[in-house]
Amino acid sequence: MTPRSLLLVHPVTWTIWLGTTLLTVSLTRNPLYLLLLLFGLTLVAETERPTGRATPLDPIFFAVIAVSFGALFNAATIRYGDTVLVALPASWWLIGGPITLEAVVFGMINGLVLSALVAGFGAFGTAMPISALISLVPRAFYPLAVVMSVAVTYVPLTIRLAGQVREAQQLRGHQVRVWRDGLPLLLPLLIGGLERALQLAEAMAARGFAADPPSNQVRMMLVGGLAALFAGLLLQFAWGQVVAASLTMLIGTGLILWALRESGQQAPRTRYRLYRRGIRDMIVLLGAGLTLIAVLAPWPGRASLAYTPYPMLQLPIFEPLLALALMGLLMPVAVRLGDRYLP
Amino acid sequence: MIEFAQLSYRYPDQPQVCLDQVSLTLPAGSFTLVIGPSGSGKSTLLRCLNGLVPHFSGGEVAGSVRIAAYDPIALGPRVMSRHVGMVFQSPEAQFVLERVEDEIAFALEHAAVPREQLRIRVEEVLDLLDLAPLRDRLLTTLSGGERQRVAIAATLALQPEVLVLDEPTSQLDPQSADDVLQALVRLNHDLGLTIVLAEHRSERVLPIVDLVVALDRAGRVVSGPPREILATSPLCPPLVTVARAAGWQPLPLSVKEARPFATRQGLAQQDAIAVGKTGEAGRASATGPTRPPRPYLEIRGLEAGYGNTPVLRNLDLTIAAGEITLLMGRNGIGKSTLLKCMIGLLRPRRGEIRIAGRSIAGRDVAAISRELACLPQEPDSMLFADTVADELRTTLRNHRLPVNEALIDELLAQLGLSERRERYPRDLSIGERQRVALGAISITRPGGLLLDEPTRGLDYEAKAMLGGLLRQWSREGSAIIVVSHDVEFVAEIADRVLILGQGGLIADGPPWNVLGNSPLFAPQIARIFPGRGWLTASNALQGLQQK
Amino acid sequence: MRDRLMSGMIIGFTTVIGIIAFLYPFWLPTMATSGGGVAHAGTAPVILTTLVGLSFLALLLEAQRAAEHALLVALLGVLVAMNAILRFIDVALPLPGGFSPIFVLIILTGYLFGGSFGFLMGTMTLLVSALITGGVGPWLPFQMLTAGWVGLTAPLCRGPIQLLGGVGRYREVLVLAVFGAIWGFGYGAIMNLWFWPFASGPVEQYWQAGIGLIETVRRYLTFYLATSLLWDIAGSLGNGLLIAAFGGPILRVLRRFQRRFAFVLRQAPLSEGL
Repeated sequence: MTPRSLLLVHPVTWTIWLGTTLLTVSLTRNPLYLLLLLFGLTLVAETERPTGRATPLDPIFFAVIAVSFGALFNAATIRYGDTVLVALPASWWLIGGPITLEAVVFGMINGLVLSALVAGFGAFGTAMPISALISLVPRAFYPLAVVMSVAVTYVPLTIRLAGQVREAQQLRGHQVRVWRDGLPLLLPLLIGGLERALQLAEAMAARGFAADPPSNQVRMMLVGGLAALFAGLLLQFAWGQVVAASLTMLIGTGLILWALRESGQQAPRTRYRLYRRGIRDMIVLLGAGLTLIAVLAPWPGRASLAYTPYPMLQLPIFEPLLALALMGLLMPVAVRLGDRYLP
Repeated sequence: MIEFAQLSYRYPDQPQVCLDQVSLTLPAGSFTLVIGPSGSGKSTLLRCLNGLVPHFSGGEVAGSVRIAAYDPIALGPRVMSRHVGMVFQSPEAQFVLERVEDEIAFALEHAAVPREQLRIRVEEVLDLLDLAPLRDRLLTTLSGGERQRVAIAATLALQPEVLVLDEPTSQLDPQSADDVLQALVRLNHDLGLTIVLAEHRSERVLPIVDLVVALDRAGRVVSGPPREILATSPLCPPLVTVARAAGWQPLPLSVKEARPFATRQGLAQQDAIAVGKTGEAGRASATGPTRPPRPYLEIRGLEAGYGNTPVLRNLDLTIAAGEITLLMGRNGIGKSTLLKCMIGLLRPRRGEIRIAGRSIAGRDVAAISRELACLPQEPDSMLFADTVADELRTTLRNHRLPVNEALIDELLAQLGLSERRERYPRDLSIGERQRVALGAISITRPGGLLLDEPTRGLDYEAKAMLGGLLRQWSREGSAIIVVSHDVEFVAEIADRVLILGQGGLIADGPPWNVLGNSPLFAPQIARIFPGRGWLTASNALQGLQQK
Repeated sequence: MRDRLMSGMIIGFTTVIGIIAFLYPFWLPTMATSGGGVAHAGTAPVILTTLVGLSFLALLLEAQRAAEHALLVALLGVLVAMNAILRFIDVALPLPGGFSPIFVLIILTGYLFGGSFGFLMGTMTLLVSALITGGVGPWLPFQMLTAGWVGLTAPLCRGPIQLLGGVGRYREVLVLAVFGAIWGFGYGAIMNLWFWPFASGPVEQYWQAGIGLIETVRRYLTFYLATSLLWDIAGSLGNGLLIAAFGGPILRVLRRFQRRFAFVLRQAPLSEGL
């Protein structure tokens, strides 16, 4: 299977989708919406998963653990809320005090937020082949993209070599009795790897590979940008100068981004694999855009995103329109299922 | 086109020069073969062509190199990559990306070739090297020969005027090697590409090259047309050795060229009686008096395989002590499976294997290896200690045997490694590294020895040394089993040849019977003198003298 | 000189911003209770995450200078592949707690080949292993940054090693093992701090209760004892033991190759002695 046949929408579209997802989840505290998001995102991951590949981390399973842990932890440490379930003796170190229903619910919501984030990343991870992910690396980090490619290419080879080394050592009577016996397995692998690196480097150099270090101008910009960020941090949090802080931080951000751009343009590269944008990208982006508007725009329904169980537990509000807007994140599923009907 | 003028080079921290005042001229469109013993600086010479030496290796340079108008020493590999493409020995350690197409495009992407042109160039080289059907494949799923073709395609994508190859076939089996060499001939003939190739298997390349450059250990170089250089070079294939001794002129370089000489001398006729006689006579003098065979390894009704597909079915085999047995056969026919069964790495489904009278069922690999030692294909995967002697001590310690320094000294002397005793094994030449690994498996003095493709990457000298060593051990009573594709080596050392076919053994007998008339496995000498039972240069020389 | 100054400043700023960002759950409540800051307490996590992200990118660009030669790119690629497999083993096998073999190579290469190399080794190992196992998650950038820090700081061992009698002795390995053990705790603690806001929820919860620094620390302590102490002890011991056992031989191998990597172009004519 080629990376193209696996990937229905452009890697950048997927990245925008992920960004929207993460933002949406982190702005949501309403458990009803969170559950909706969790199941929706799990569905995206499921439809994107190539047949035969196992899910690395089942989001629902993760959610069960995260929610129970969140509930336990929060209940054990938070002491307010009006509905007291049990009161532990106050003399108990660290955990003494009343345990409230509100704290339990609050903890569960924490767990849900985390699980939905994990589900979003999971969907992104299953959808994107590694080569597409590497193609997303900005040009400024070209050498690191090559490092990643080399590493990904050498993983299966190294696993095979490890098998070879293990057999070779067995043939000279090596047995793993204590864990230090791992050394005769590790060292030939390491030495072989280093020798291979030398050969690979020659082959790369012979094909004209050479990375260009960032110029001093770029580095000066980095120093300036970081200094501005740091100054902005102090202004904002230590001295409370919000306007000045925002300005300084903006300048710093600009400088760093500018430096990255400059550094990327020092050595031009072209790309062989081209991912095309098409109607599918439009659908996914429109869906994500709808969600984004719903969670950011000032309209009455937006208030239902927020929810707090304190001081007294009450049912969260459910706004059907907002729920519908959140479903905009499910457009990748629609694209995948309706692929046959799209041009 | 390529011009070396008084080029000398010395590696950093080395007392003697590697290349000594090399002067050479290689015209555009020529196909040049570089020969020389291991460590004579073949690779160094090649790396001077694209500036890897000295830009990558350090060291000191004097004199000059010119490729057309370019000076690689001044320009360095990055600029030279547009003019000189280079392919390396290892089919696996020269790839950056996972897939064929991406790998070919890598250098072009890096050189910022515009996209439209990039696509055209990738298509071109895919076609040029017959790789179009493989374009979307993962490199790990390709054979060694296919991978080397991808490596050639990847360098040709930059459209260099010169293609340099550093022993591109030494890690390949003969079939894959042929594949690669055929591709090179096509490139040279059809495109007029200038090719410089360093290669051990000169017998396959000699008929097709225009020039031969021969290096010696002192870093000196002679060059000229192949017939001229091979008339005096110590490194030559068996065919040339015989032709030189017989005084055939002009010197034949291929079987086709040599046949008329043999026919003229009346040595090529089919003569059934001569086969038996000369063959056996020649062999008897090489092996000495025969001993009554004592079975060392016995295999009865072996069935083995992976998953649901049995590779071996009902195989019976007895290997005697004091005998060198060669196992041959196509790739993937089950040689490795049989080998793995013998040493306990793979449990057979059915059947029994007995070594020195005891069944190996239920014994672990370590225990079996004390009676039947095995040298794996990659001896490097074994070596990790700081000194050669330490490698041998490690094995003794693994088996919980006392470390006997006298024994180590004796074995190292046999292996010709006494002077390398305290060296770092990984710094040695491939032949020496292999002998260190051989020492590491045989320091326990096993009665049997298994070698898997031991001649891969070895030059003539190292092969001869290995052959001598195996002969000596076999005379001392060891049972030796060698798996090999290398027919010349097989002809040289075998007492008995087995050919593995679909599911079982299809041929078993003395080498002159099994190899002599096989169209696939016959060595060069047997092809020149069909029906005489001669397999090696020394057989032929003896026979010619008697004539 | 100017070169080192710039490097130092980039690393320095990034580290300070990183420390502030990692510790903000502690001082945010105090800030919130002091008034004035309440309005933007909610935006603080977003701002800090952005700042950390930016400074991470800056540091990555600076460290990338260690990969300017094809040899170092190849070396990093091959070593990262090896380390990613070790991580895979660690994920697949039920090894005790935070016991992870990846830090051995990160620390040793950082110590020998320099902080930038170690930094790249750390970040790339985590990234590549996440890619091949499909374990990309919200924690990945933090893991990358923290593992990078481990490699970046490894050259700090050079001082104590010089003091204790220098290279090649057993003490060298001992210092590195202690360093690894310390980072075993450090890595766990930093990763916890990342996770901590998720476990404790958004800042309104403190603010409503008006809790101060002491209360926050108390809760963090509970969190730490409940979730990570044993885990981190295992990680710390594991690092120390692995380096103590394997460090010496691995260092010897790396040093042998370091000599081969140290090439220089000396284009002087050969002397007459040749």
